[in-house]
Amino acid sequence: MALASKTYDVADINAAQELYHANGWTDGLPIVPPTGEAVHACLEWAMLPPDQLIGIEPVREVAITAEKLAINAVMAGCLPMHFPAVVTAITAMLQPEFLLHGATASTGGCAVLIVLNGPLRREIGAVGTFNALGNSDRATAVIGRAVRLALINILEVRPGGIDRSTIGHPGKFSFCVAEDEEDSTWLPLHVQRGLPADASFVTVMAAGAPRQIMNEWTMVPEEILETFAAEMRANMRGYSIWGGNYALIIPKQLREHLQAAGWSKTDIAAFVHQRARIRRREWADVGKGAVVRDRGDTEYAALETPEQLLVIAAGGPAGGFGAVIPPWLGTKSRAVTLPIGACVDCGPPGQ
Amino acid sequence: MVLQVLDPTNETAPPLGQPARRPVSLAGKTVGVISNGKEGTKGFFAHLDRILREEFDVADVVLRVKSNFSAPADRHIVDEIARWHAVVTGIGD
Repeated sequence: MALASKTYDVADINAAQELYHANGWTDGLPIVPPTGEAVHACLEWAMLPPDQLIGIEPVREVAITAEKLAINAVMAGCLPMHFPAVVTAITAMLQPEFLLHGATASTGGCAVLIVLNGPLRREIGAVGTFNALGNSDRATAVIGRAVRLALINILEVRPGGIDRSTIGHPGKFSFCVAEDEEDSTWLPLHVQRGLPADASFVTVMAAGAPRQIMNEWTMVPEEILETFAAEMRANMRGYSIWGGNYALIIPKQLREHLQAAGWSKTDIAAFVHQRARIRRREWADVGKGAVVRDRGDTEYAALETPEQLLVIAAGGPAGGFGAVIPPWLGTKSRAVTLPIGACVDCGPPGQ
Repeated sequence: MVLQVLDPTNETAPPLGQPARRPVSLAGKTVGVISNGKEGTKGFFAHLDRILREEFDVADVVLRVKSNFSAPADRHIVDEIARWHAVVTGIGD
């Protein structure tokens, strides 16, 4: 089937860069020129016709077709094998509980955290070890960037346009991580969320910037997790008091202590659910006393339920570093996990 | 060698509503205020209420607060707009 998008003739790759930058079609970095051949290759790999409707953004009622998504994926540097994960991420973001318009327009400036699970990670070379939240590998870099370019170009989420972020964060270039399933005894994130172990999944979460922690001075699970919980409490004081999906990035060094002590992801979530709480009066400690009022004793939990915690095994083999990735807006936006490709029995979890 | 590249944008403008005609005067009219519910809106819209009543002789100011400040106004609020002569909305951080 022929592509429907408008075409432009450019003299060379440099002229292509200037065309895309001049029209506001990039994230500021160079793009791969999206030729018809490259776009067709993505569509054929995903077995999608160009006019396949991926979904409709519910607030502004903008339709997203496979062709437009593929164009942006190619621009981001995606190979055809990366494209199905991009399709799934966008599909997940279009679920009502994700609150896509709010998450992309908010002054709060969140980015979309994308977590890859299942066998597809290895097929496309997505790596969850060294530099897991940074430039760890080609696959996670381009999948995360493709989602951002799609937001910019298809949904007009440009800074100062739909995107009203006050400061944003670097994850708005690309914010994709693969879980290190091979080097962990824990259930992968998608299985923890009640989904089949043998399929590949994408989880999306409207997320603030990672808050890095370090504790290399204990092997005691409660002490390790107290460091994470303290960072969550700090986020509740400094950023937002509202509970919701938090993600914890736990690297191998810390995982080994927790796993040796027999702690599962469920155990971790139960502990953190109890420990990551503050009272409203603590706002006064960080200059927010004006909104404490007579509710100083009211307790707020970072997680309404333990199941809201997304525990992700990722990070290089050495170092007691981890990260807390906070939610953009409490439970107003919920993490969504969807299967990559067809999965008859799968559906998005409730939270 | 000429390279043929594709337009990455939607190319189709999303549906837009038409703004209502602006009233010549606010005197005796009902003005709706849709707040996003953030802390900063309370003082701002309370002050606006006074200005509308005292300086523009507005008959009634109806304040409605969205249930989610990052989502569009709730359906019941949107349905109510037809009963107002003018509406004010905006963010308050």
